[in-house]
Amino acid sequence: MSLWVDKYRPRTLDDLHYHEELSSRLRSLAASGDFPHILFYGPSGAGKKTRIMCTLRELYGPGVEKLRIDQRVFVTPSNRKLDVNVVQSNYHIELTPSDVGMYDRVVIQDILKEIAQTQQVDLNAKQRFKVVIINEADSLTRDAQAALRRTMEKYMNNMRLILCANSTSKIIAPIRSRCLLVRVAAPTDDEMSKVLHHVAKKERFSLPSPACQSILTSSSGNLRKALLVFEAMKMQKPDLAGGDIDVAKPDWETYCAKVADSILQEQSAQRLLDVRGKIYELLSHCIPPTVVLKTIAERLVDKVDDTLKPQIIHWAAYYELRMRMGSKKIFHIEAFIAKVMTVYKQFHLMGYIDDFE
Amino acid sequence: MPASTPKSSPRKSQTASQEKKKPATAVKKDEKPAGRDIRGFASTSTNKNGASSSNAANGTGKKPITIDDSDEEEDKVEKKPAAKPAATTSKATTSKHFASVSSSSKKPIVLDSSDDDLSPAPSSKPPPKAKSPAKPVVKSESKPTKPTAAIKRKKLIASSDDDDDDDDGDVKKEADAKPPARKRQSVGGGLAKKVNYLESSDEEEEEVEVKPKPTTAAKGKNVKKEKEPSPMDVDSDSESDEDDFIDDDDDDDDRPKKAKATPKKAAPAKKATPVKKPAPAKKPAAKKEEKADGDEDREGEEKKKKPAFNWRAAAAARAAGPKAPGSKEIPEGAPDCLAGLTFVFTGELDSLGRDEATELVKRYSGKVTSGPSSKTSFVVIGENAGASKLKFIQEKKIATMTEDEFLEFIRSRPGGGEMDEKAAKKKELEEKKIKQQAKELEEREKEEEKDRKRKEKALEGTGIAAKKVAPASAQLWTTKYAPQNLKEICGNKAPVDRLGLWLKEWQKNYKSGFKRPGKDGMGIYRAVLISGPPGIGKTTSAHLMAKEAGYNPIELNASDARSKKLIENFTNIDNTSLDGFFQGSGIKSTTVADVEINSRTCLIMDEVDGMSAGDRGGVGALNALIKKTKIPMVLICNDRTLQKMKPLQGTTYNMTFRRPQPAEIRSRIMSILFKEKMKIPPNVLDELVKGVNSDIRQVLNMLSTYKLGKNQMDFDEGKQLVKLNEKNTILTPFTIIDKLTGPYAFSKTSKESLGDRMELYFHDFSFVPLFMQEHYIKTNPALTNNLDGPPKDLKHLELLSKAADSISDGDLIDRMIHGSEQHWSLLPLHAVASTVKPASLIYGPMRSTGGGGPGAWGPSFPQWLGQNSKQGKLGRQLTDIQIRMRLRVSGSRAEIREQYMPLLASKVVLPLVKNGQDAIEETIGYMDEYYLGKDDWDALVELGVDTMAESIITKKIPTAVKSAFTRQYNKADHPIAFHKGDMFAASKKKIADTGPAPDNEDVFEEDEAVPEDVSDKEDEEEVNDVTKDKLIKAVKPKGAAAKGKAAAKGKK
Repeated sequence: MSLWVDKYRPRTLDDLHYHEELSSRLRSLAASGDFPHILFYGPSGAGKKTRIMCTLRELYGPGVEKLRIDQRVFVTPSNRKLDVNVVQSNYHIELTPSDVGMYDRVVIQDILKEIAQTQQVDLNAKQRFKVVIINEADSLTRDAQAALRRTMEKYMNNMRLILCANSTSKIIAPIRSRCLLVRVAAPTDDEMSKVLHHVAKKERFSLPSPACQSILTSSSGNLRKALLVFEAMKMQKPDLAGGDIDVAKPDWETYCAKVADSILQEQSAQRLLDVRGKIYELLSHCIPPTVVLKTIAERLVDKVDDTLKPQIIHWAAYYELRMRMGSKKIFHIEAFIAKVMTVYKQFHLMGYIDDFE
Repeated sequence: MPASTPKSSPRKSQTASQEKKKPATAVKKDEKPAGRDIRGFASTSTNKNGASSSNAANGTGKKPITIDDSDEEEDKVEKKPAAKPAATTSKATTSKHFASVSSSSKKPIVLDSSDDDLSPAPSSKPPPKAKSPAKPVVKSESKPTKPTAAIKRKKLIASSDDDDDDDDGDVKKEADAKPPARKRQSVGGGLAKKVNYLESSDEEEEEVEVKPKPTTAAKGKNVKKEKEPSPMDVDSDSESDEDDFIDDDDDDDDRPKKAKATPKKAAPAKKATPVKKPAPAKKPAAKKEEKADGDEDREGEEKKKKPAFNWRAAAAARAAGPKAPGSKEIPEGAPDCLAGLTFVFTGELDSLGRDEATELVKRYSGKVTSGPSSKTSFVVIGENAGASKLKFIQEKKIATMTEDEFLEFIRSRPGGGEMDEKAAKKKELEEKKIKQQAKELEEREKEEEKDRKRKEKALEGTGIAAKKVAPASAQLWTTKYAPQNLKEICGNKAPVDRLGLWLKEWQKNYKSGFKRPGKDGMGIYRAVLISGPPGIGKTTSAHLMAKEAGYNPIELNASDARSKKLIENFTNIDNTSLDGFFQGSGIKSTTVADVEINSRTCLIMDEVDGMSAGDRGGVGALNALIKKTKIPMVLICNDRTLQKMKPLQGTTYNMTFRRPQPAEIRSRIMSILFKEKMKIPPNVLDELVKGVNSDIRQVLNMLSTYKLGKNQMDFDEGKQLVKLNEKNTILTPFTIIDKLTGPYAFSKTSKESLGDRMELYFHDFSFVPLFMQEHYIKTNPALTNNLDGPPKDLKHLELLSKAADSISDGDLIDRMIHGSEQHWSLLPLHAVASTVKPASLIYGPMRSTGGGGPGAWGPSFPQWLGQNSKQGKLGRQLTDIQIRMRLRVSGSRAEIREQYMPLLASKVVLPLVKNGQDAIEETIGYMDEYYLGKDDWDALVELGVDTMAESIITKKIPTAVKSAFTRQYNKADHPIAFHKGDMFAASKKKIADTGPAPDNEDVFEEDEAVPEDVSDKEDEEEVNDVTKDKLIKAVKPKGAAAKGKAAAKGKK
């Protein structure tokens, strides 16, 4: 009953469909007995976590797949109680410190240290060290990263760290230098279509190439997305026939598109107010602000006159930067929309646009 | 002022002021009937001659005389016969002669005379201006004259005749000539004074041409007058003069009455003539246009033209160059020169800000209202004046003036203003009252002082350290001048009266069991709840009324503990016990602070909303007490809408005290000031009272402190004092946003500095930026006013974009302040970026955003807060879902939301929509696979947007399916990924949350109380037994029991 994306997830390094070279390197690392701290990085849906689990399986055997979830409660210096969810097996433990926002430092200091200070209890374990996986490492605050530095060296005997991030840019240099950097690039279209066909074969049907193509274009290198879209498409149109298969867009994407359309439809204060309500809705329903901004901007670019395209991209980038620097995201999205409205209106009224200011 | 009267200096001042007032009234009279004028003069002269302060009289007399001179000159300029000026002068003399004629009305008349001279002069100086001044004059005249207008006329006629008879024919002529002279004066005066108005000199000649453009009603009137003079001159008939006068009177009357828009309907032509003058006089082209528009409208032509015209005019004015705020010199007018006049400002003035203009009017004792009405003396019209206002003005024919005219008006108007007779009389009356009150106060104080001394003496011998009564001079003003009787209470007359009535009826109602509501519905209440802001005399009124109704008030306030227990036991703190009374049957006379508690006692519970932490259950107990009280109870609080006051809503009569109007407080405070020998003009006092929101107590405290330094206060000092005392009021963000983005908040004439505006931000720097962000889209920016159509929209968008950029800047700064860097010194920058700059761009009136929802009538509460917490909540739910799915899915939260959820929803939500009950099995299968519970399913639905929005989805799933789904889900066991920590913590929480500890204690005690009573009784019996024979006791089995009990008791 599970979704294809989970059903056909590879479990061993041998099962992986692409990045063969990386797989063999990981295999030899696991066999060497001198396993380093590793930082996996790459875009979402490229297969980082899958590779991490495969590596762990290589290290410890199938025991790592017996997962259990634990909730740890700890108290911040300001006496606030925080829950941290911990996923663990006998041999490893997985944390997402960024779940607790600015208190991630406490998680690192308390929980990680506690784990690091105890030795591996299972005498039958293949390795003497435990592995700690830190998810979303690139959203760790600087403080938390600094807290990580010394721990990584001091408790090397008991513990190895595997960091998982989308990009290394937000990881401080000292940590980067302590880790083996492993890049998991997004699969190419060929690789993806291989996977898709593999899944289709397992599900006992054949995937026509136009459908495959439309999946690939809509998922842009994100294999998870591709598989999910694939399944959704199969649900929607079981025979997958016909060239122009409309890939079902997720709810938030259609909503963003509506926002973009309403911006182009009318530019006025009232419309800005309406749009604000929609943006609030998107944000409050946990759509990340950057995604909102990006999706709207892309949709706008699709629809506007060519002369306006650079403008829109420029302002989208400008306000995304500000959004990341600031704290109240909607202020910047709103500023972006106001700017786009102004530029668009000016262009249609006067036939020209000011240069970027 | 070497006052002839031996009375104190204040009196002198009064007389002086009276004189001033009188002139105002006099002016009117002068205009109307020449004879009156003469009389007025006579009266003044008599005054001089009279025993009363001759100097003062002279002073007043002088003014008019000087004016007369000016008038004469003007007249000469106008080339009117020299005889006329002479006549005026002669008038004065004649009037003196006739002093005897005008007896009772002398005073007003005297004033009139002075006013007459004055009034024409100012009005006349600038022809366009003249019109407006003429109006006030007319008004003032009309008021006083109304009552006796007819009589006066007759009298006037008679008097003029008399004059003629008495004096030579010359005198007669003079009298006749006077009115024309006046008119001429007005015209000529303008010429003489202002070179600019040379046109005015031409007026007479050009009059015919001018006629077609009548601006305002006032102007029209002026015109009439002007016209009148010319025929008068020719005829120089006494009768004609009289007629004219009568007409004037009518006009005056009509104006005040509103209804009679056109005093003389016959004079449309005349009106038309006056119009010309204003047009040439107006310097800026825009103004001219506006006026012209107005004229056209009046004539009934092309009303629609007006707005369009206005726009163009406004644009032209703008193009002409920026108006410089403060560019015009603010005139130094004579004190009180605007007394009795009511102004309305509309549009944007060139140089003055709205506040400034208002202040200016108030400085000179004028009144400012927000909208024009028939009582409005003048409307000062600026640029972009509201179309509806302009229309109204035209319909009602209210006099208008431009800013220049307004300023000139102040500059030239004589001190003391031209108050109408009524106002003058009123003022006089008020002064009398003040004096009398002051006298009363003084007497009372003397008596008290005597009393105190006597007591002190009596106590001296006894050696008892008696409570020393502080001498009055050492008491706070608020104590010293606390109202001692009903009529001294300021404002809230109706509620106070009702309170008195209720108290009087109380016993009767009590006897009838509070069944009869009575005519005002108060008969069914045993208690009254008075609510209102502090410092307006709630407690004082309650005490006074209780005493007045023959009750002895007992007051319990926040300084007394008023917990449930204490109130219930009524054995409360020492001497405020109501013990004997509430016990019911056995009414023993209990004394409380020398007051016997009996049916004539009244309980005043002050500061009921202060019953808080320490007084647990107090309000409930109080409510229970109210339901069975046998004495009237008066409860007092500030805010009866509080949650904790809820229980009292049904059992008490609600009585709301409002802040008294400044006018209601004025006389009381004036008399106190009089007694304290402080000199503060009424208009300053009004400002003070208004500045502290009618808090009488605060005004008194402010003044008593002020008196330590100075005995006088002028307008500016008053403003300053208010500002000093205003500081501690914290504005709400709603008001702040209103202030920052008001229609004129950043207009060129606004005098607020950047600092002032930043100050607003600092009232509440965490909320104001959020409010600004919420609000900035919702205005019609004033900066777009000069545009129309698409360019306006574009400009609006540009402003919005700039404002949004600035707000975005503000957020970056906010991050630096509240983030890890903690740059708190950046707050001022944040103030500018997040609040002041956006406000400066988009200030303007609120735009209706459609619908009557929140924020339709003012700034709304920021959405951001609600949305942010919603985001937090949904975020937590998403984390829950993610962690449950973690055993199957590797994605992070965002990935789950963006990629998994749409598909997952189509697996576990949409089937229910599509297939109903058949899909339940499959749905539960998927949920189990991903360890999702029913709660998570709900969260999943809640997280959807657009077509997957919760509201849409839940509507689509039939209730039957939903409940079947829930039932089926609960039937079976499901795999659970993990147990949440808080599942165990929840029970702990509950324990902590259960009722407060003291309640338990109470329960415990009550439980014990019952057995205790029993044992007490037994003990008593046993004690008796024991006393009977101690020795036997041990043997008795009963005795043993007793022992045990006794021991138990002992332990206790």
